[in-house]
Amino acid sequence: MTYEEKLAAFNERIADGDKIEAEDWMPDDYRMGVLKFIEMHANSEIMGALPERECLPRAPSLQRKMSLAAKIQDEVGHAQLLYRVAEDLGKSREAMFEDLINSRSKFHNVFHYPVKHWGDVAIIGWLIDGAALVTQAALLDSSYAPYTRVLKRICSEEQLHLRHGEDITLELASGTDEQRQMFQEALDRWWLPIIHFFGPRSNVEKDLLLRWKVKTRTNEDLRQEFLDRYVPKILELGFTFPQPVPRKDGDHHVVDDAEIDWAPLDSIKKNEGPETARRLDERKSIYDAHRWVREALAEPAVHAA
Amino acid sequence: MDVYEVFRRAGHKDPYEHCGAVIAPDPEMALMMAKECFVRRREGQHLWVVRRTAIHSFKDESLLDIAADKSYRFASAYRDVVSKREKARTRAAQIEDGTGE
Amino acid sequence: MSEAFASVVLALADDELVLGHRHSEWTGWAPHIEEDVAFSSIAQDEIGHAGNLYTLIARRTETDADALALGRAKAHYRHATLCERPNRDWAYTLARHWMYDTADDVRLEALQGTADPELAALVTKMRREERYHLLHADAWLRRVSQGPVEGRTRLIEALHETFADAVGLFEPLEHEEMAVKEGWLPVPSDELRTRFMARASAALDELGLPTDIHTRVAEQAEFVASSSGDLIADDEPAAEGVTPDATAGGRAGRHTGDFDQLWDDMTFTYRNHPGATW
Repeated sequence: MTYEEKLAAFNERIADGDKIEAEDWMPDDYRMGVLKFIEMHANSEIMGALPERECLPRAPSLQRKMSLAAKIQDEVGHAQLLYRVAEDLGKSREAMFEDLINSRSKFHNVFHYPVKHWGDVAIIGWLIDGAALVTQAALLDSSYAPYTRVLKRICSEEQLHLRHGEDITLELASGTDEQRQMFQEALDRWWLPIIHFFGPRSNVEKDLLLRWKVKTRTNEDLRQEFLDRYVPKILELGFTFPQPVPRKDGDHHVVDDAEIDWAPLDSIKKNEGPETARRLDERKSIYDAHRWVREALAEPAVHAA
Repeated sequence: MDVYEVFRRAGHKDPYEHCGAVIAPDPEMALMMAKECFVRRREGQHLWVVRRTAIHSFKDESLLDIAADKSYRFASAYRDVVSKREKARTRAAQIEDGTGE
Repeated sequence: MSEAFASVVLALADDELVLGHRHSEWTGWAPHIEEDVAFSSIAQDEIGHAGNLYTLIARRTETDADALALGRAKAHYRHATLCERPNRDWAYTLARHWMYDTADDVRLEALQGTADPELAALVTKMRREERYHLLHADAWLRRVSQGPVEGRTRLIEALHETFADAVGLFEPLEHEEMAVKEGWLPVPSDELRTRFMARASAALDELGLPTDIHTRVAEQAEFVASSSGDLIADDEPAAEGVTPDATAGGRAGRHTGDFDQLWDDMTFTYRNHPGATW
């Protein structure tokens, strides 16, 4: 078969809703597109661990100390699963890691922001994981099968994280004035980044990932699902929204594109977010200082003395 | 370091199931890492790790397709049991009545 | 509930909490991603053990575990200095992990014979998890010590340092005499210390590591240029042997500057919102 014939056959498979495996023939832009997408997802999980681990030392109870550690552990586990899938597409974990710490690859916007107090833990655990769950549930239908298989486990763990995050939120919401203030203050800082998380309006014509059915839904569609699900819940707890304030439109809670300030996201896309450099540098310095560990692990089997 | 595929079994009634992979320097460490990565919620009481290079598969998986009709391997080949039972009962009744052969 | 009993339980609980806090600092950036996941479980185990021990006391004194864990003043904590030391790097972390879990094994083994049945049952349960911790520490020590020279060197240095601190785990408890007399502590601390040193030496020997680590004899002779080009060993054995550091005194509530920041962070949210539930 010629390349063109193979490509035509592949297009038909995608159109038919066929699932692609790692060993299947695939056009180069499919391979690169999926690899980059999964790599970014993996990067986001491992970078997402950083703001949360910054909150861990000050956990306010033993139970939360353990459950937050377990939650971050899960995120690292997700990164592990995703890097494994990405590796099978043709890039080593080491190469992906080095690209990440040298600021050559990207990770989701929300993890470029600072954390200040326990209110951030509530927001991250409830609303940010909630947003991630919306996008990840949609990806369960992705054309790339190995990705969907790890997403199954990832989504079920994120469900748990969501309940954990909501539990933390509800304690704050029904607590002291200071505790309620904690949540509100965090919401004031995080709301815009959460809106940005879904990205700008999808360009259906040009989006390769949509064409190849790696992604199955548009950004604005996913954002709307998130808003409809969470805005009422936040309102019923008596909290208020900073810009962009959602408004009711029939059954929906919408945010107008005109009200969204995209400038912070533009900086983050260049890896110039508020905490980007510091977090990547810290990771890099630990990585560089532990080359001896990688070398020790690379040794063939050891024997008892 | 190698990729070790991880298999776990919940209890005695279930077979081992593939659940993921770890990258580890040797089987001992692979087991410890697999324990935490794949059994930390007690999803299994039994754990295997196998070097990926020790796993084999067909290059061409279409070889797994069944070509000729081997329907006798499936229960669906025996769906006419109802009518056949009916026929046999009728025959037995004939013999009892003395109306048949 | 006797003070002596509390001193036994709190020393153990505080060790586990402070160490668990330190271990948990690796979550998210440990040197190998699968190990990151594995080590976090160990951290959670230690914190969980601390919680169970605090609960044991709390139930007998009408307070709660969190109040004990996060509500005491700095000088009321009774953990050993070893536990509060910063993680530094993976070599130090591994060495401290190995030292602590080896010492803990000695301690818990003895505590299974404690006069308090509830504590005995809890200790038995803890030993099951600690068994895995020791396996983990051993596997890493074996691998690094038999690997490239850089890792082995770092590890040996770290073992030397942490050994000195580990001995502090067996400083006499606050009410040591009474604890032994009343049967809460079935084996006195100095006997436990002797057992620990013997066990650690034997284990290090089996791993091919220097066993007189506490009297530091330099592993590699330094090349000292002489006119004849001889290799002149520069291996003055360090000091005295096992002398408790000036900074010891954890069992009496005397902690180092390392604990200042740790305590400040660990108790911050709890302290600033008295009475709140989370």
